[in-house]
Amino acid sequence: MWETVRQAARATVQLALAAGLALVSCLFITVLLITATGTVAVIGAWLLPETVLLIRRIAGAKRSMAARWSGQEIPEAYQPITGTLRDRLRTAIRDPSTFGDFRWMVADYGYGCLVLLALPLWLAGLPADGVWCGLLGRRPVVLPLISRLADLDAAWSAALLKPSPKARLTARVEQLTQTRAGAIAAHGAELRRIERDLHDGAQARLVSLSMRIGLAKRAFDRDPQAARRLLDEAQEHAEEALAELRHVVRGIHPPILTDRGLAGAVRALAASSGLEVTVRADDLDEGPRAPAAVEAAAYFVVAETLTNAARHSGSPRAEVWLTRARTGVRVVVRDEGKGGAEMTTGDVGGTGLPGMRRRVAALDGTFTVTSPAGGPTVIEVELPCVW
Amino acid sequence: MRVVIAEDNALLREGLVLLLTTAGHEVVAVAVAEPEILPALLEHRPDIAVLDVRMPPGFRDEGLRTALEARRRIPGLPVLVLSQYVEESYAAELLGGGASGIGYLLKDRVGRVEEFLEALDRVAAGGTALDPEVVTELLSRRRSTPLDSLTPREREVLALMAEGLDNTTIAATLVITERAVSKHIGNVFLKLGLPTTDTGHRRVLAVLAHLNNS
Repeated sequence: MWETVRQAARATVQLALAAGLALVSCLFITVLLITATGTVAVIGAWLLPETVLLIRRIAGAKRSMAARWSGQEIPEAYQPITGTLRDRLRTAIRDPSTFGDFRWMVADYGYGCLVLLALPLWLAGLPADGVWCGLLGRRPVVLPLISRLADLDAAWSAALLKPSPKARLTARVEQLTQTRAGAIAAHGAELRRIERDLHDGAQARLVSLSMRIGLAKRAFDRDPQAARRLLDEAQEHAEEALAELRHVVRGIHPPILTDRGLAGAVRALAASSGLEVTVRADDLDEGPRAPAAVEAAAYFVVAETLTNAARHSGSPRAEVWLTRARTGVRVVVRDEGKGGAEMTTGDVGGTGLPGMRRRVAALDGTFTVTSPAGGPTVIEVELPCVW
Repeated sequence: MRVVIAEDNALLREGLVLLLTTAGHEVVAVAVAEPEILPALLEHRPDIAVLDVRMPPGFRDEGLRTALEARRRIPGLPVLVLSQYVEESYAAELLGGGASGIGYLLKDRVGRVEEFLEALDRVAAGGTALDPEVVTELLSRRRSTPLDSLTPREREVLALMAEGLDNTTIAATLVITERAVSKHIGNVFLKLGLPTTDTGHRRVLAVLAHLNNS
């Protein structure tokens, strides 16, 4: 009996909160109508995007409230409202979710006051279930109806607030457009870096090498000593050019990835990192290999993270997991250091955490860092690919 | 010496053949793809095999794998592995079966003809030749270790020792006397806690094992 009453009380609280939110959304429908009118009359145009943003927050509150009750997340698919006033207005009006939220608010007018039904149910249920269940020992009948009411509220909200397939597609297209732009920008920056490295490095050294050989040829008969010195220098320049080319090649695509695949390359990396690194990558030893770009990004993340761990974390150990997920490659690197890694640090020349995030985002992957003060730092990356 | 070469790039292959024949060696066979290497080695039983790591058809680490396989089939076969880039883990794999008659060098080193020929002789005679870049990597990544207690000169001596050079060559390279080299080596082994009786390639192994485990 007591459990029934407690459950009914929880449902009532839920319904009361829903009613409170419904009241707020009633107010906002009015505000929305006013701003819409203002927009038509031009003078209040700037208010509309702001109102839509507020409505999103109210709908968000409803989503989390319903999700808490039913235990089922309600996804959202909003287009970011940014840019000039014209852009913001356009997104605010064209985003299919705006209409969806509006529809929900109107419906919430009606079902938001379900709590009013709970009141008579309490009045009837307490004496009725008290006798039926408390004295006769049967299952309670009336009070559980209050829970059903809360279920109903959550179910209707989920149905109304769930983004339409169109909204989802729009959000996905928006995300893909962004990551694609990021990928193109990253690719362009990479090409420029390689061009600069080759131009300033190997190419310049080869020019000076050729020049010294030319001088040595001139000096060959007249001053063999000088010719020899020039040839020595030429050889040094040739060696430096080779070293730089190796460096550039490593930056483009580490050769060991080609030789040994991701698992083997990461194991080699771990062995030479100066930390005691445990690598679990059995998944990837067999079966098809991921695309080169995915392998390179995963390798880059592990290399960068291990370097950071060796430099900043103070941890003598690290662990690396590489797993083959159905939808791609999953990389987890964990150290036992002091934590406190921040996204803002170390962003020099595309390295550090922001560099890693960009590189992963360019491949439509996800990148998560957990690094509480006191450690440990855990980096999780998922890179989608087709096996 | 009778040499078998495995190198797929025609330019480098011709260069190597020219260099070796000029130095008075005999190139008995040239392999241009992975499947040709082992039969050539088994047929000719050369004094030394010079293998490129990346070979057709896979262009991965065929040369390295063949080197290990060849050492299993022909115990004691001196092998000099050349590569466009060096990888510490590859060095560890090569040395895993013993450092005697093993060389692992960047292709760049071929340009230093005298040094390259010396390394070739050393490996053929059962010694070791390890690329300075591998040694630098080994020495640089260690964090707080007994290595920190070495003086700069002792580190230099240790690095050259790890490359596989003997005392005379180390003395010549650093422009110091052989007595001084012996003294430095004694100090290095003392500080690292290694047995001092080892000579030649066993000495290299002891040093590398220490670097790998520290």
